[in-house]
Amino acid sequence: MPKVTMVQALNMALRQEMEKDDRVIILGEDVGLDGGVFRVTDGLVQEFGEDRSVDTPLAESGIVGMSIGMALYGLRPVCEIQFSGFSYHNFHQIENHAARLRWRSQGRFQVPMVLRTPYGGGVRALEHHSESRETFWSHIPGLKMVIPSGPRNARALLVSAIRDPDPVIFYEGKAIYRAFREEVPEEEETMPIGQSQRVKEGKDLTMISYGAMMRPTLQAAETLQEKDGIETDVIDLLTISPMDDTLFVESVQKTGRALVVHEAPRTLGPGAEIVSRLVEKAFYYLEAPVARVTGFDIIIPLFSRENAYLPNVHRILRAARKVMSS
Amino acid sequence: MREIKYREAISEALREEMIRDKTVFVMGEDVGQFGGVFQATATLYKDFGASRVLDTPISEAAIVGAALGSALAGLRPVAEIMFVDFTSIAMDQIANQCAKFHFMTGGQAIIPLVIRTQGGVGIGDAAQHSQSLEAWHAHIPGLKVVMPSTPADAKGLLKASIRDDNPVIFIEHKMLYLNEGPVPEDDDYMIPIGKADIKREGEDVTIIAWSKMVVDSLEAADDLEKEGIQAEVVDLRTLNPLDLETILTSVKKTSRVVIVHEACKTGGFGGEVAALIMENAFDYLDAPVERVTGLDTPIPYAEPLYRAVIPNPDWIKKGVKKIL
Repeated sequence: MPKVTMVQALNMALRQEMEKDDRVIILGEDVGLDGGVFRVTDGLVQEFGEDRSVDTPLAESGIVGMSIGMALYGLRPVCEIQFSGFSYHNFHQIENHAARLRWRSQGRFQVPMVLRTPYGGGVRALEHHSESRETFWSHIPGLKMVIPSGPRNARALLVSAIRDPDPVIFYEGKAIYRAFREEVPEEEETMPIGQSQRVKEGKDLTMISYGAMMRPTLQAAETLQEKDGIETDVIDLLTISPMDDTLFVESVQKTGRALVVHEAPRTLGPGAEIVSRLVEKAFYYLEAPVARVTGFDIIIPLFSRENAYLPNVHRILRAARKVMSS
Repeated sequence: MREIKYREAISEALREEMIRDKTVFVMGEDVGQFGGVFQATATLYKDFGASRVLDTPISEAAIVGAALGSALAGLRPVAEIMFVDFTSIAMDQIANQCAKFHFMTGGQAIIPLVIRTQGGVGIGDAAQHSQSLEAWHAHIPGLKVVMPSTPADAKGLLKASIRDDNPVIFIEHKMLYLNEGPVPEDDDYMIPIGKADIKREGEDVTIIAWSKMVVDSLEAADDLEKEGIQAEVVDLRTLNPLDLETILTSVKKTSRVVIVHEACKTGGFGGEVAALIMENAFDYLDAPVERVTGLDTPIPYAEPLYRAVIPNPDWIKKGVKKIL
């Protein structure tokens, strides 16, 4: 099996789905000739032509509006918003149209579209280019919201998202686009949307995270094992909405202690929803307050201060030790 | 004290601030000659004229963009977005521009801007005119989010918002506009942003709510009293900055909490409140924190359906009994 980066894995998913199903079309700013700002769509215009790999004007609302129209007429558009910080421009299209057309038309119409967009910090980007705002999408009924954590699940989840009959927001962590490689099989592979995954099994502490933050979370889990003898149960959410709380609730019923890690600002980040569900569904099992290790409630700073904002192994360890000692 | 309607309290606050400070002006769709879709800016146009009460085109991004520009140039705009649902069209202006400008300029620029809007389920306004979207705005660092439940709070908080040097999202509720209550006439009457209010004291359970759900919670609390349950109703009034101290004081007293909001549950502000209680008062809790919220669905048009998806006093009572 070839070892590839997440960028290559996503490219593979798009290429294979476009080969398989000629209703699949990609569109966005620079996705064609330029191959995408992060090269996720590299080579697709050469292979599938300009009709299926469409360079659009810089108009996010137009890109999403057009995708909705295509989806309503039977195509399967995969649009790219160049940075998730630009998706404020298409909020209205997503929330007032894409998310509810099935519902408004009492099931007569569906919107099988995917909105791919890079999110998060860690690549020393500029203002508006490092945001992590998954909360917005998770608070909109009718949308699915997926955040993979590595090449293999990114590829499988993107294929599932393209085949899904409903709109899917697909966040790609910029910090892990090229940070590591994984074996990804040539043959078809999908993963169910709405299912989290246990990536490490342990009995002492549940750690819940997703996306680019899975890396520092797993590094911290390793240190906890080696230095503190703490066995962690690590859950990768993969889908933020609909949120699969079965696995992490079950895990906390076993461990009695939990920690959530995300880079979105703390207030109203997905951590709040996760903690609430634990309070609702595992309250009598909890032996300590659930900790949240998150970005701060500030605009994510420019690159010189970025590392002070993002959760890192050190902060996760400190929180984990506090949870274990209370 | 004389009693006036919620919407009259809003226009009184605007009028007083416009008289006090010539840099304050109002803009939005139909706010001028028509007096606002809910008449919250009634008669302002007649008294202050078209240069200070601006009827704008139907273009939310442009309304907020123009308000931001005028705030940067030294004015104090109060822009109305007719329904909170339409803030999604202005989201880049709100989240990427208004909220960040102060930070991006290293503090050189101030943005004394108020966006007045209203949300919530009304009478068959359907999916795009009925939402409660406070969670979006409360998740954006740099914005303040205010949601008053009474006429007096509406007036005092709107005046404080206009005098605040930061962008404030001021969310009214369409079903509160006709509610009446005592409102002070004092020109300098204000309620500080960031202070919750205990609307009813009780020992047995804390009900945390905001906007119209405070009214429903108070009704539920009255019924519960007949059954011997004393509920304390905490009206957050401001979601950001949040008055955690008042919440924790109440939780430590009652040890049981129900959070009520009209917005859908997943990703709603109740999740944040529950998480904060968990972090700061875990050892005081005697039961899980209960969330009574709207269902995770768009708001339907038909009356039996929309009534079936948002909380009412009965749901709140059930929520309280579940954790007692």
